[in-house]
This record gives sequence, C-alpha cells and structure tokens, in this order.
Amino acid sequence: MLLIHCPYCDETLPEVEFTYAGQAHVVRAADPSSQTDAEWENFLFIRSNPKGPHYERWRHLHGCGRFFNAVRDTVSDRFLTTYKAGAPRPDLSSLQGDRT
Amino acid sequence: MNKLVSSFTAAPLARGAVARVSLAPPVGRLVLRARGDLAALNAALGLTLPTTIGQRAAAAGLEVLCLGPDEWMLHLSPDQVGAVQAACAALMASHPHSLVDVSGREVTLVIDGPRAAELLTIGCARDIEAIPVGQGRRTAFDNVTVILWRDGSAAFRLDVWNSFAPHVAGLLETGCRELAAETA
Amino acid sequence: MRSCRVPGRGRVDASRPVGFTFDGRRYQGAAGDTVASALLANGVHLMGRSFKYHRPRGPVSAGSEEPNALVGTRRGPGRFEPNTRATVQEIWEGLEVTSQNRFPSLRFDVSAVNDAGYMLFSAGFYYKTFMWPRGFWDKVYEPFIRRAAGLGVSPTEEDPDTYASRNLHCDVLIVGAGPAGLAAARAAAVEGLRVVLVDENAEAGGTLLSEPQVRIDGRPAWDWLADELAALKGLGVRIMTRTTAIGYYHQNMVGLCEKLTDHLAQLPADTPRERLWRVRARWVVLAQGAIEKPLVFNGNDRPGVMLAGAAQTYLNRYGVRVGDRPVVLTSHDSAWYAAFDLQGAGARVQAIVDTRPSVREDLLHEARALGILVKLGHTATATSGRLRVKSLRVNPVQGGQVGSPVTIACDAVLMSGGWTPSLHLFSHTQGKLAWDEAQTTFLPAETREDCVIAGAGRGLWGVQAALEDGAARGREVAAALGKDSAAQAPRVQGDRTGTGVTQIELPTDLNAGRAKAFVDYQNDVTAKDLRLAVREGMHSIEHVKRYTTNGMATDQGKLSNINGLNIAADALGRPQPQVGLTTFRPPYTPTTFGALANYHRGDHFELTRKTPIDAWAEAQGAAFEPVGQWRRAWYFPRPGEDMEAAVRRECAAVRSSLGIFDASSLGKIEVIGPDAVTFMERMYTNPWAKLGVGRCRYGLLLGDDGFIRDDGVIGRLAADRFHVTTTTGGAARVLNMMEDYLQTEWPELNVWLTSTTEQWSTVALNGPNAAKLLAPLVEGVELTEDAFPHMSCAECTVAGLPARLFRVSFTGEIGFEVNVPSPMAMQLWDRLWQDGQRYGITAYGTETMHVLRAEKGYIIVGQDTDGTVTPYDAGMGWAVGKSKPDFVGKRGLARPDLVAKNRRHLVGLLTEDGSRLEEGAQIVFDPKQPVPMTMVGHVTSSYHSQAVGRPIALALVEGGQDRMGQTVHIPMPDRTIAATITGTVFVDPENTRLKIEA
Repeated sequence: MLLIHCPYCDETLPEVEFTYAGQAHVVRAADPSSQTDAEWENFLFIRSNPKGPHYERWRHLHGCGRFFNAVRDTVSDRFLTTYKAGAPRPDLSSLQGDRT
Repeated sequence: MNKLVSSFTAAPLARGAVARVSLAPPVGRLVLRARGDLAALNAALGLTLPTTIGQRAAAAGLEVLCLGPDEWMLHLSPDQVGAVQAACAALMASHPHSLVDVSGREVTLVIDGPRAAELLTIGCARDIEAIPVGQGRRTAFDNVTVILWRDGSAAFRLDVWNSFAPHVAGLLETGCRELAAETA
Repeated sequence: MRSCRVPGRGRVDASRPVGFTFDGRRYQGAAGDTVASALLANGVHLMGRSFKYHRPRGPVSAGSEEPNALVGTRRGPGRFEPNTRATVQEIWEGLEVTSQNRFPSLRFDVSAVNDAGYMLFSAGFYYKTFMWPRGFWDKVYEPFIRRAAGLGVSPTEEDPDTYASRNLHCDVLIVGAGPAGLAAARAAAVEGLRVVLVDENAEAGGTLLSEPQVRIDGRPAWDWLADELAALKGLGVRIMTRTTAIGYYHQNMVGLCEKLTDHLAQLPADTPRERLWRVRARWVVLAQGAIEKPLVFNGNDRPGVMLAGAAQTYLNRYGVRVGDRPVVLTSHDSAWYAAFDLQGAGARVQAIVDTRPSVREDLLHEARALGILVKLGHTATATSGRLRVKSLRVNPVQGGQVGSPVTIACDAVLMSGGWTPSLHLFSHTQGKLAWDEAQTTFLPAETREDCVIAGAGRGLWGVQAALEDGAARGREVAAALGKDSAAQAPRVQGDRTGTGVTQIELPTDLNAGRAKAFVDYQNDVTAKDLRLAVREGMHSIEHVKRYTTNGMATDQGKLSNINGLNIAADALGRPQPQVGLTTFRPPYTPTTFGALANYHRGDHFELTRKTPIDAWAEAQGAAFEPVGQWRRAWYFPRPGEDMEAAVRRECAAVRSSLGIFDASSLGKIEVIGPDAVTFMERMYTNPWAKLGVGRCRYGLLLGDDGFIRDDGVIGRLAADRFHVTTTTGGAARVLNMMEDYLQTEWPELNVWLTSTTEQWSTVALNGPNAAKLLAPLVEGVELTEDAFPHMSCAECTVAGLPARLFRVSFTGEIGFEVNVPSPMAMQLWDRLWQDGQRYGITAYGTETMHVLRAEKGYIIVGQDTDGTVTPYDAGMGWAVGKSKPDFVGKRGLARPDLVAKNRRHLVGLLTEDGSRLEEGAQIVFDPKQPVPMTMVGHVTSSYHSQAVGRPIALALVEGGQDRMGQTVHIPMPDRTIAATITGTVFVDPENTRLKIEA
C-alpha cells in the first residue's frame, strides 16, 4: 500500500484515503464545440502509458476532497512528487523521489 | 419544535474497561464552504475560521474543524442552527459561500478510555498518534469516510453518516471486546 | 512406547505433561512441545506421506520451513485445519492431529504405488501423459487428476473462529528475534523511537534457544536472553511472538499474521484466532537468519533423515534425541557440532561423513576425543528403511571417482549442505540480490525500501557476528531517524562458527537415472527432474521451476530453491548469477483466509446501508434487494403471496388509489453559490437558466463522450440554490464527477457542492389520492393544480416536520416526494401510513416502482442504458439544451459514431404471443438466418403489466425509432418469440392522470 503526500493537507497518508483519477494535464478545451473530431478523440481516449514517470491525478477522497496532480514512477510505483491542481508540470529531471 | 431524534439504532454500544464507545447526543451540524476573505464570516460566527486543514476553533457553543481548503464542519447546539444560518445568509450577496444544514445526516460516536487510540487502529490506516490533541481529520475507517475529532490523548469523537454508523459501530464494538479480553 | 526425551535438556516443561492424539492414538508430550518434537520424543518419525509418490516422510526441519511433516489439526466441530506444519504447531491437552495423503493408513498407503512408478512420473509428466487420446480427458484423466490432486483435505464446516486486524505505525520494525534482531532492538530502542520486534516462534531468542552452550556477557545464553527480553520491554519495545511477517509491501508496509489461540487448550472469550497487522515502519530491520540446506542424495527423504541443525534444536530446545545411533552427513562445519551435542546427550554417533577431503583440525580433534568415526571425502549414495531410515550407504570419492560403498547402520541421518540466508521478505521489496561466490549463495544487496538486513540474513555466521551486526544495524537505523545510539554488542564465548562447501547432488556409483535424490520434498522434485527439464529445453530458471514444480509447494522453496538453482546451473553449464533465482512471493508462510478477511465476514462481509424506513419494512415482511451499497425494500408480500402477486397488488393500489414508497436512498446534492445556475448549465444537458424558483426539472447527466451517466429531478429552491437528486447507485460517482469538473475545469465558479443524501429521507406518495392524503398535512403550500402544479418544489412543513416537498411522478400518477431530515423520517412515514389507511395506502417496493415507470417509458440508468446510450438513442432529445454553448457531453454528442444512422434506440416491445421476454435476451431481425445470427439489440426491461393487460418490454434495437410497428425476433433456447416495436409509453401517453382534480 502506497503512501501519498496530499499537497493540500501537507501530510503523507495511506493510499486508502485516496482514489486515482486518471492521467493529469489532459486539458478540456475552453470551447469544445470548436474541436475537430480528431482533437476531441484525443482528449477523450488517447492516454500515455509510459514506463517510468507518469503524470497522474489523484483525489484525497476520504480527506480534504481535493483533486491534485502527481508524478509517479510506473516501474517502482513510487510517487516522485505531488502538486496542487493548476500548478505547472514539475521538471522531471529535478525529481529524486521520496523515500518515505 | 421537533427534536432531532437519531435514526441510528445500533446494538448496545461497547463499554469495556480500556475503551468505550457511546453515541453522542444530537448536535447541530453545518457544512460551510467559502473562500477568499473570511473576515465577514468570522464576525458572523464569532470566531476565526482556522485555515489549516485539521485545525479547530471554538467559541460560545460553536465548534469548527477545517476539513479542506474551503470547507469547515461546524458543530453547535441544535437550537443555534437557525441563528447561525440567518447570520450567514445576510452575507450571501457580499461574501458568497455555502452553508448547508446536515444535522440529520450523521451521528457522532464518542470513543474514549485508555486504549481508545488503539481501538481506532482496527479501521484507520493513518497514524492516530500523529493527530495532535485538539485537532481533527476527515479520514477513512474501514473505507467509510469519517471525521475524527481528537479531544484528548484518549478521547475521540467520530462523525459517521447514518447508514454507515451500524457498520462502524459494530466493528468498534468488536474491537472493544477484543481489547477488554486482551487487558483482562 | 519408548521415550527419546533427554532429562535436563531443553526448554520444555517435563513436569507439565500434555496429552494429544495422532491418527487416533494417544501420545504425551510436555508443555512447550510442538507436534513434531512431541512425536519425536515418542520415537515417531513417520508423520506424513509426500504429495506425488506418497513416500513416507518425517520432519526434516524444526521450523516454519518444514516441507514434509504436514498434518491436519482439529479442535472440535468446525475447527479443522489441513497442512499444518507439525514443526510449528504447539501441542495442547486434547489436540487431535491426523496425518495426510494416505489411504487407508499412514503406515500402509495404496497410492505409494506411484513411488514404484517413479520412472513414469518424471518432470513434465502431466504435460506429456495426459495429451492423448484426446477423448480420455473428460472421463479418465481429469477425474484421476482431481482425485489425486490437492494437499490435505479442505475443511467442510463453517469456521467458528473470529479473526481480527489492526494497523500499527512504528519507527523501527525488526523481523526476527534471534541474536541479530535482539541486538538491533536494543540499539534502536532509544528515547522517542517506537520499536516493534516480531518473531514467528512461540518464544523470542531464535538460534539462542538451540545453543544453550553459548555464554553472553559471561552468563549462560538463556539467562542473558531472559534478562535482555525484560530489558527491551522495559525500554518500551513491543515484542510480538507467534507473529509471522508474511509480506513486505510498498513503502515499508509489512503484513504480520499473529496467531493468538492455536496454542491454547481453552479458547479465551472475545479473542480472535489470528490477527492481521498492517505495520507501517519508517525503517525495517530484517533479521530472519538463515535456513539450512539439505544434501541432495538418493534416499534423502526417508523418515529419520533430517537437517543437522534441526536435530540440534530438537535436542537443545525440546530435550529430544532424534536418534540413538545417528550418522552425520555434511559439507559444512556446523553439523559437526550436532554430532558432538548428540554424543554428549547419550547418543552413539555412528560416523561423521563429510564430503570435504579435509576439515578444521579442532573439529577432528573433538570427534576423536568423543570417539566418533570420521569419514572425510565421502559421498552418500543410498539409504535403506521403509518407514524409518536403517542405514546409510557411503562411498569414498577420490579424484572424482566414487569408490566402493560401505553401509553404516543408523536410526537417523543428520545432514547439512550449509546455510542460505532467508531472502524472502527482502525479495518482496523487489530488492536486488548479489551472488556471493565464496558462500555459493545469493545475498541481499540493493533495495529501494528503507530497510537493512542484519546477521545471518546477509551471510554472517555465529552468535557474536549476529549480535555485532544487529547492534550496528540498530545504530544505523536510529541515526537515520535522527537519534544517537551507543549500544554495543555483548561479548560471546562458546560461539560456533564455521564454513563449508556447496554441493549439487552428491556423486554416486549407482545408476543416477534411478536415484531418488530429492530437491523439493513437498512437491517430490528430484535432481533428475531438474536435469531432465534442462535437457528438454527449459533454459530459464522460471521455466525449470514451472516444468518441475520445484519451489512451488506451500513451503515456497525455502529448502529447495538454492539447491535447485545450483543443479540447474550445473546442467546448463552457466554460473548461478546468470541463471538467477525465481521470485519469492508473499505470503512467507501459508496464511489463512480468515486472517486475510479478518473482520469482513458475517455481518461485516459487505457494508450494507439501510434507510431509516428499513426497520419498518423488515417488520412488514418486505423482501429486499441490494442497490449499490443500499438494501432496498423490493416488494411487500402478504401471507400467501409470491413476488408476482405482491407486485400486481402493489401496482394496482398505486394506479387506483395510493402507494407509499421509500426513496430515501436517492442521491442528493445541494448546489449553492452565485454561479450555481452556470454550473448546472454546464453539467447537465438541460437548460436551467429559465427554471423558476420553486420549480423542478428532470435532468440528464452525460459524460464528455456523450453517453448517459445519470439522471434525476432537480429543484430550484432559490436563485443560487439547487436541490439535485441522483440515482441511488450513482450518488457518490456523480458528486465525484461534479467535484472533478468544478475543481479542475471551472475553478473560477463560485459554487459549492454538499452531499445531503443522508440529510434528507425521501418518502414518495403516488396515486390518485396522493394529494388528498397530503394536503391537510402540508403547511405553507396549497396542493392544488394551480398553486403547486406538476414539477413544483417548495420548502414547507409536512405533518409538522420541516420538509422539502417535490411534486414529481415516476409512476404516471399524481406524485409527491416529501423530504424530511432523516431522524424524522419514521415519524413522517408513521403519520402518512396512519392517515393513508382511509385510502387503503399500500407500501410498495422497487419492483413495483420499476413496473410503473416502465409502463410510462421512464428509463432506469444502468438498466435501460449501458454506457453507450445517448439521450437521442433513449428518445430523450427533448432534454438536451441544444442552444447552450457547452455542457458536459455536448461535443461528444457530435462525434461521428454518435450521429451515425442505425444506432440502437430505446423502443417498446409487445410480444405477439403475449409471453414475457427475458431481460438481456438478444434480438434479431431475421430469425431464419444462419447461426451465428446478426444480433441487433437486446431487451433491457420486461415486466407483466396489469395496467396494459399484457407483458411489456423496453429494448435497445438498431434503428428502432425508424422501425415502429415492425416485427423483431427474440430467439430463445426452446423457441423464437416475435415482438412488435412500439413507442416506450404504454400507459396514459397524454399524462392526464397527473392532474389534481379540483
């Protein structure tokens, strides 16, 4: 069971308090009606499946209720960092991973 | 006036030598959501809303716990609910917020006794000892969302939605019996 | 019966005899005995039969690694457990033990004929033998395999025991309470650190329990141990015995299984049998020690052949001499001490046979002094004895040549092939192993967990080394946690250290192809099987493992994996690190389902949510059905009624007079804020801006893919306040989805969502008399057609209770939903029930609700939709606010597939023969087409309709809305049913029944 740092509560807590919410930084266009079929297909269905760091969304469902973003290494399962929704993508090269 | 009568009909709650579980009397409960400048709401409530998640404040029969960046749970006497709602409603136009009466949504279990913290570990995965006395957290007890108030080193309150309460209380009751047998 | 107990030896309490039975025969052991030690004390070595060949077997070890001595244990009705390791199970007065894998008896077993067929049952036997003829599979092979398969017998009765679980957080978790673990605990037990020390054995001490000759800090080992344990407790260290670390999971979460009652004669009240602990430790110290390796030689599995270290444990810890005339066979120094200890306990050691040509001078000297025959540079080539070993055949080996045999008569063979660090938990962390050529074994290397290994677990031998390493690791961990520890290891005298060499199967002068040299005792895998697997093309250790089943038994290869690897590497001609070790997986030792399920059985098997009306419904004899986590009243049968009769009566009551329905489980969300209407416009398909305060509307929620996700009636209580309802099962999902869009897509909106599902309990009244019943009870609203028309809502008082009143109908009759705070719901229900008697008020359940709504063509999301249905497919284009610039799903609805012709549409079906269709039945256009037919849809809802006078159905049919009046066919196993496509509204299409007559 993973430990996840909630950037809103500023606590590192057991995974059971959280739910996964899909890939992060998938932006819903401000005006969806202007999207082409291909763009909308990309928004709805096309996701990355990297071996290594993956941008993800999680929700602290049983805590503060906030959705937030995370970078998780899909090889080790480790969270490299978590950050508030709306914050820019962190630079992957700066992430060492938290050992706790 | 209609009294808030609990619909919760759990089996007799547990009273062991080292941990006890009992049902708290009905209480008024309001969920407050707001952001930005809270000064007007603070004035209306007569306290300063804590802005760190998990922290509490209290004043004149009103107790508040910060649950999220823009969310607070208020506990107050049932007959104060109307007055607080009215005071806040007057601010709605100038300070948009949401105040919802959830007095009937949930019940509060009181958990105390020397091994109360240990009793909670049968359902809480997070470290109970890491919650300072006088604070509170929304967390999960056996996958049920609960609000845990830590009133003392061995005194807690657990807010649980009505329909989850029998499940949570049943587990706590089992745990109480185990702890009693362990200590005997 | 002969006693093999050695007076004055061991930690068992001979003054407290304990009676138990084995295969019905009564035996006596002493307090502190395991089943194995007690039986050995009675001279019994034969304890079971092997899995494949049914060969007689006795214990080979004295611990949890035991592969052979698996027994069934019973404690009265319901309390039977198969495959209990006799070497771990403690005895108590009255314990019933039975042997396994034998028929009719342990001493004579008919399936032992498999053993004679050894040449047939080689590696891959199942894969090869049962291939042909194909027709034999069902009738011959499968029944044979099924009868023969399985280890032990499954219990058949319900388990009367209870199981528990707890979470535990600590700074340091130490696994293994031997010298390394004890020293680590002492060093880590500094002020402010929470230290937990666990051990799977009944008492802490590890190897010290088997080595009483050691002196620590000048005191006998056992005295030091007792003081040290007391000191650790005094320092606040939590010491847990009979507690196995079963798995090491992410980020230092370790699962523990604590056995609380299996060793007790009387079961204490309120005490679970086992408790699963989920421990989260900041640092973990693995001090699990090492496991002795068997030697692989022909006949190494006879009862009486056991590990030398086990013999030492039986002698020194349990006071049992496993043989009067043992012979020691070894490739490691440690077994020499076993010989010395046994000789000192009155045994006559027949010989020490060492595969090495030379050994340490002090060992030779002591053997000579004790008068023990020594044979260096020898191999073992056979054993004799059917139910107990009688002799060992040994041959000298010189220059690779096996010389002439000598047979040594004996009653036990004590073997040692050296020691393997216990790598299992480390392996669970995906830790990397490093090959150590000197010790011919893998040692733990890198792990990403905050974990250190101490003592024999990383290849350090001897008590002194273990204590020093444990103390050093304890200090290291304390430092990592920001604490200074000055703890130093105590000094040890009488320590026994040593070295050895690693052997593959021992050389032989006999036909190696006939040798039964076992590597995996439990799965009956021999060295020959491993070599055959390699010859047949299994070049990966993972393939060798699966082909031979080596290491796949319940002991997880604790004894067999390293020997198997060495032999496979030899056969492959590659060094061991290139061959690699198979992965160890949790649990470390077999774990009961009880422990894993713990509290989640019986009443707590699954969480069941009940409404405040549930108890009333139960008292009325309602039948219930699960809907999401809720249990809802399904129908209310009267005496003599079946479901059909009850539903028919309930439907008729609603259509003719008045029905009352508990809708409390409907999800409810309070949407508040100046941007509430903007939010609603964006979430739901419908337009909300013009919905007046005091009015409500049916809302449809889509995903951004354009498919229906949920629906419900939504009331506008104020300009900035909506009361949203969702389906019962969708409540949490819808709130999550709304929060998602609000928090991450539209954070600028000033609107907040609060779940009020359980704040409000909802009582629905439906029927021509609904308004008549309700009107006198309502204050603040006049229930007339003009003042409170259909789709109105209001905050008012009902029966003196604060209420939110909705005039809505899910039945086609005049309908109201009265929401009151949950604690008052029963008060409201009672009042309505009483006052409703004059209208023959009838309680109805979800089944009647389903029939009544289907008669009106109202959909149930999740039943008539399946995640691929759009509002247009469902015939609800009217609910889509086409002029809105955006809402969730708007762009999705324009996707090419969603605007394509011939999508499946929701339609009504009426069967031509008046039969009721089955829900889920597939639909075809042409019943005469060849199989497989082209299926064009399926039946989603089907009921007998009293109001229509025949069965009705809803179905999704390709292009259905353009096929009104056409016939489709529903092929069933016995016949094909023809049905006509109709509209979805079967009753009162003009909605005349909704009107309240003045």
